[in-house]
Amino acid sequence: MALSVDKKRSGLQQRKEARQGWVFVSPWIIGFLAFTAGPLLFSLYASFTNYDITSRHDWIGTTNYRNMLFHDPLFWKSLWNTFYYVIFSVPLTTLGSLLLAVMLNRKIPGIKIYRTIFYLPSILSGVALYILWQMLLTPGTGLVNVVIGWFGVEGPAWLVDPAWTKPAIILMKLWSVGGGMLLYLASLQNVPEQLYEASEIDGAGVIRRFWHITLPMITPVLLFELITHMIGAFQIFQEGYVMSSDMNTPGSPMNSLLFFNLHMFTKAFKVFDMGYAMALAWFLFVVVIVLTIINMVLSKYWVHYEGGDNR
Amino acid sequence: MKLKKPLSAILMTALSTVLLLSGCGGGSNGEDQQTETATASKGKVTIDFWTFWGSETRRPIIENIIDDFNKSQDRITVKHTYYPFGDIWTKELAAVAAGNPPDVIVNTIEATGQRADKNQNTNLSEFLKKEDIKGRFFPELWDTVLYKGEAYALPFTTDTRMMFYNKDHFKEAGLDPDKFPDTWAELEETAKKLDRKNGSVYTRIGYSPQYAGFDWGSIAMNFDKGTNFFDDTGKPVINDQAHLDAMNYVLDNANRIGQKNLDTFKASFGSKQANPFIAGQVSIWPDATTFYTQIRDFGQNLNFGIAPIPEISKDSGHYSVGGGFVLEIPKGAKHPQEAWEFMRYLTDKSAQKYWAEKNFDSVANQEAANDPELLKNEVYKAAVDNMAVTKVFPVPLNAPDFLNLINPQRDAAIMGKMSPKEALDKAQADVENLMKQNTK
Repeated sequence: MALSVDKKRSGLQQRKEARQGWVFVSPWIIGFLAFTAGPLLFSLYASFTNYDITSRHDWIGTTNYRNMLFHDPLFWKSLWNTFYYVIFSVPLTTLGSLLLAVMLNRKIPGIKIYRTIFYLPSILSGVALYILWQMLLTPGTGLVNVVIGWFGVEGPAWLVDPAWTKPAIILMKLWSVGGGMLLYLASLQNVPEQLYEASEIDGAGVIRRFWHITLPMITPVLLFELITHMIGAFQIFQEGYVMSSDMNTPGSPMNSLLFFNLHMFTKAFKVFDMGYAMALAWFLFVVVIVLTIINMVLSKYWVHYEGGDNR
Repeated sequence: MKLKKPLSAILMTALSTVLLLSGCGGGSNGEDQQTETATASKGKVTIDFWTFWGSETRRPIIENIIDDFNKSQDRITVKHTYYPFGDIWTKELAAVAAGNPPDVIVNTIEATGQRADKNQNTNLSEFLKKEDIKGRFFPELWDTVLYKGEAYALPFTTDTRMMFYNKDHFKEAGLDPDKFPDTWAELEETAKKLDRKNGSVYTRIGYSPQYAGFDWGSIAMNFDKGTNFFDDTGKPVINDQAHLDAMNYVLDNANRIGQKNLDTFKASFGSKQANPFIAGQVSIWPDATTFYTQIRDFGQNLNFGIAPIPEISKDSGHYSVGGGFVLEIPKGAKHPQEAWEFMRYLTDKSAQKYWAEKNFDSVANQEAANDPELLKNEVYKAAVDNMAVTKVFPVPLNAPDFLNLINPQRDAAIMGKMSPKEALDKAQADVENLMKQNTK
């Protein structure tokens, strides 16, 4: 319809409108160029230099990248830690928030109160939350191990034992799945009621209805959550910085919480080796973008867009 | 997951701001011209002084000192800007890059040379030529602010670690409360007598090197007679025999008590009144001497003593480790002359004495530190005396983050995942490798 209206207008007016359009979006374009694209390109360039902000800025070719791949044990350690975290936390939190959303998508008295309760943890953020969890995860007297103890099992030494630090953080993250839950809940309520009615008449059970109606209908939100979640998970930083067992060594014990961004932070702001830190940043950027593209390509096979002709 | 988005956003903004600012600032390297215009304008000069002293106790103290300085002359006004500890130096870095830094800033003493190497602070030798004030500082601290033989900062405060011990526990165990063990071996013997158990559960632990502020790294430095992880030539010596002995000392203690018992016991530690030393859970507590203020505020009835760090054998030296903060002029500051005058005032006797008296901090000015009024306090006197054996270790220029390679191996050895020898050899190799990457 819009097309037919356009045809009636003169070319002059069209150009004028286009110009006005550019004027209106120009603040964002300028902002993007100055504050996003500019620094981005600069950091790509600087990753091939020994840039340290204040004293030097010499082209050193691929030295940073070679050091990163072949001479920096903490690069591999931090990359492994980050992948470990992403691989477990993304599916688990997705599953957790979806499950929670399904459970809270019912018409029972007081449901709003339940929803509020489960959403609450995700408003809390920052260092206070980590300190709270450090207390909860205290090996001997912490609430988590006390509860595990009721079942006759001796809980692990969570943040002290390098084998358990990452599971501890993943557990902590599961506590605040309320944010994702809210999105799923909204999309669950958008699933047309008549689909359920029709399938019920055809004799589909609860599980079949979920698998063949609910799940396909919410896949766009699922994809969105999965991608933003994965990107967020790769950026994990604070947890390793704050919840380390030895205050003077972020990422301790035994560098088990040394995440990629934490390593990058140390190189950038303790060593002032910005060039190297930028090389690290670009490496992570490439990893994330490749995974995102794979996700987008694969999404063709499982994401269902209602009435959109798969646009 | 939502939680860390704000942080990453902030980080990204900070990083891109740094980049952007540095891009803009690169062109304007005209510090000299800027200084000229400043003095040419004749009127009163306002200088900006950045600190992280924003607490209820510290802020009024530093602002009183600034007030006194402002009243003492009529050419310079100092403006105090407070930034939290976590932000101040990244902000400064961005400001230096942008060519618009503060005139004076408080920074860490250990990394003064690193900052000089990176062109982040101002060489003070010209001012010192006119007015040699290096004699007012403790020599060990003065050495720390030198880079290639020239000063880039003035020491302001320092600290030192000593042994706090519970005299009542000593008496109860039949030990002389006025005689603290002299050697590490004696300390371990004493510690055994101070332990208390209820069945198999420890209710009191005499001493563990894993508690409080003098861990394996510091003990290793004491064992090797003050060398620490790098020798005179800057070569890493992490896996030398003394450091291995220190690790074995830590492990012997852990094996005697049980690492699990140590960890469980540590998990019950609190702060303030519930601090393990104040609450009587631990009898011997190595810490910075400023720990005294906690005893003063939260442990009124505690009968405690203070003693130097033990030594490895008779007269090998009671080496302790310290740190501290310096005052410096960031590179590109607009009023270096006025900044220097203010720094000179801050490190002079009266300001330093006032700071020491109000904060119970060890100060860098020897005369102020040795003020008879201040020395009346037994702990304060002990701290000043301890300065003679206190070492401050500058950050090695080509491996500023070396502790990130050593500490994980330390943890591995303590957790029994590696033998001490293996762990230290690995740390040595890693640090050597890091230094190789950084020497170009």
